[in-house]
Amino acid sequence: MRVVIAEDDPLLREGLSLLLRAESIEVVATAEDGVSFLDAVAREHPDVAIVDVRMPPTHTDEGIVAAVEARRRQPGLAVLVLSAYVEQAFATDLLATGAAGLGYLLKERVGRVEEFLVALQRIADGGTAIDPEVVEQLLTRRTGRGALDRLSPRELEVLALMAEGLGNAAIGRSLVITDGAVHKHIRSIFAKLDLAPDDEADRRVVAVLRYLHDDAAR
Amino acid sequence: MKGEQAAVLQRSAVRGRSGHAVARGLRGAVDALEQVLAGLATGVLALLALVVVLAVAVLCLVGVGLLLVPGTLRLLRAVADRERARVSRSNRPLPPAGAPPLSLRAAARDTVVRRELAWLVLHATFGVVIGLLGLTLPLWVVQDVTYPLWYRLTDHAPSVVFARVDGLGDALLVALLGLAFAVVFVVLGPLIARLQSRPGVTLLAPRGSDLSRRVAELVTTRAAALDAHAAELRRIERSLHDGSQNRLVAANVLIGAARRAVVRNPAAADELLEKAQAATEQALAELRGVVRSILPPVLDRGLADAVSGLAAGSPVECLVELDLAVRCAASVEATAYFAVAEAITNTRHSGARLVQVGVRTEAGELRLRVADDGHGGADERAGSGLSGIRRRVEAHDGSFRLDSPAGGPTILEVRLPCGS
Repeated sequence: MRVVIAEDDPLLREGLSLLLRAESIEVVATAEDGVSFLDAVAREHPDVAIVDVRMPPTHTDEGIVAAVEARRRQPGLAVLVLSAYVEQAFATDLLATGAAGLGYLLKERVGRVEEFLVALQRIADGGTAIDPEVVEQLLTRRTGRGALDRLSPRELEVLALMAEGLGNAAIGRSLVITDGAVHKHIRSIFAKLDLAPDDEADRRVVAVLRYLHDDAAR
Repeated sequence: MKGEQAAVLQRSAVRGRSGHAVARGLRGAVDALEQVLAGLATGVLALLALVVVLAVAVLCLVGVGLLLVPGTLRLLRAVADRERARVSRSNRPLPPAGAPPLSLRAAARDTVVRRELAWLVLHATFGVVIGLLGLTLPLWVVQDVTYPLWYRLTDHAPSVVFARVDGLGDALLVALLGLAFAVVFVVLGPLIARLQSRPGVTLLAPRGSDLSRRVAELVTTRAAALDAHAAELRRIERSLHDGSQNRLVAANVLIGAARRAVVRNPAAADELLEKAQAATEQALAELRGVVRSILPPVLDRGLADAVSGLAAGSPVECLVELDLAVRCAASVEATAYFAVAEAITNTRHSGARLVQVGVRTEAGELRLRVADDGHGGADERAGSGLSGIRRRVEAHDGSFRLDSPAGGPTILEVRLPCGS
């Protein structure tokens, strides 16, 4: 796997490179800001681009802007946005470019290397990885009202994992239930929420997150 | 060595101060002349208005005058507003009074109109007389000083010289008298100007204005304090995020990588752990810095220790003079501390070789003065921390004065009410 990293903190940039190289992942270029990141992506055509959100010059949302722009210039480019904190508004901006090949994770998830590598691979393969924190923000904001209250606790767990971008098999593994059980839960969830059933994980993520977002706004 | 330097600085400061005094005196005299002239102008207007008011008052007795009352009241207000504008230029600002009441009955009840009438009488008489007096002195100065140039044309000497003038010698004496008048005007001019403005200042000010102005002031300083507070929080958030948080994330990543390497390659794992430890050490150091910047723990021991600590860490030689008889409120001392810290930090860019810091408590105030001999040009609008300091100081009802002409020196003076 070939990776480009955009991260303005030198120590973190080095640490991330070290970690990825130790896992036989090729770090083909590193960048310190949005502009040089876009150059590197255009030059290297990486399998995944890893971007920090706060970078020079304003240290606010350069990474989000750069990620959106990179996916606009190069549709289908897999991007993983890393951030010290997650902001639901940023997730919405990113998801507007489609959920396929998109990741948005807290920086500390990198420390759980095995899970991080799985997520990275999923993104590179066109899947989605949305941080559980984002999903939790959406779920807690809307507790106590609406259609979600009709979901069973198990169905809520499945819904959260779907929102994170996990496929059926991964959901089954995570909850230690069979594929059949996962299928059953998902059908039930979609019926209760009045959503069209969809087995494609990335379209499903968008549908579920949009549902949660709209429901929270209501 | 330090004492000598201080003494030298003090001497030059004294010299500078006496030079300043002459310049200040002359500037004061010119200002006074300008004020007296403008005051004379409003005085003549007041005199004309007074004549009109009296005439209308007499006409009112026969009835016809009642028709002229609204116009007269408007005239009175216009003349008073002119004086308000004049007084505002040199004294404290007086807002215009707006539209006057237009009926005789309403006007009689209106305290503003009554006070304006009182002012009108005073300014039309006393104001004009004192204005003429104030104008006479400078005229005498000009006449007498220039007399040697035209004494041949007339043997009637100008101003108060009534003796016959014989020859250049006498004329020069008259010129000398002119200089004496000049000195008298430098001394008396500002006094005359103040005296002339007195009725306007006292009678034309809106009543209770002290309170409303105070409220307006508090509203502004409170907003500024909140701004300063928000900016401060943003700064702290930034330094926490860019510093400690990033270091900890890096440590976390490195530990994750080390755990993966433990079995495969123990030597590499150790190296990674070493790096992770270095990262946590950095995180701690930066955390310490942020904590200190929020409220330096040493302030608990007193402002004296805290300021001495700042001086010790100053990039430029720093002389400190402390006279802190009483402790002030913690927030006041913190503000003073940050003001000194900011001023000392700024000397880094000013090319100064010596900074002098004076902090003392006097008359219930904490007064501090930071002077450096750098090239000046410090601008609080240019994104320096000084504007934040000003907002903090003003939120404490203190005063903030920055004097930093191009070429230097830079002097920061801050006064803070001590608080309880």
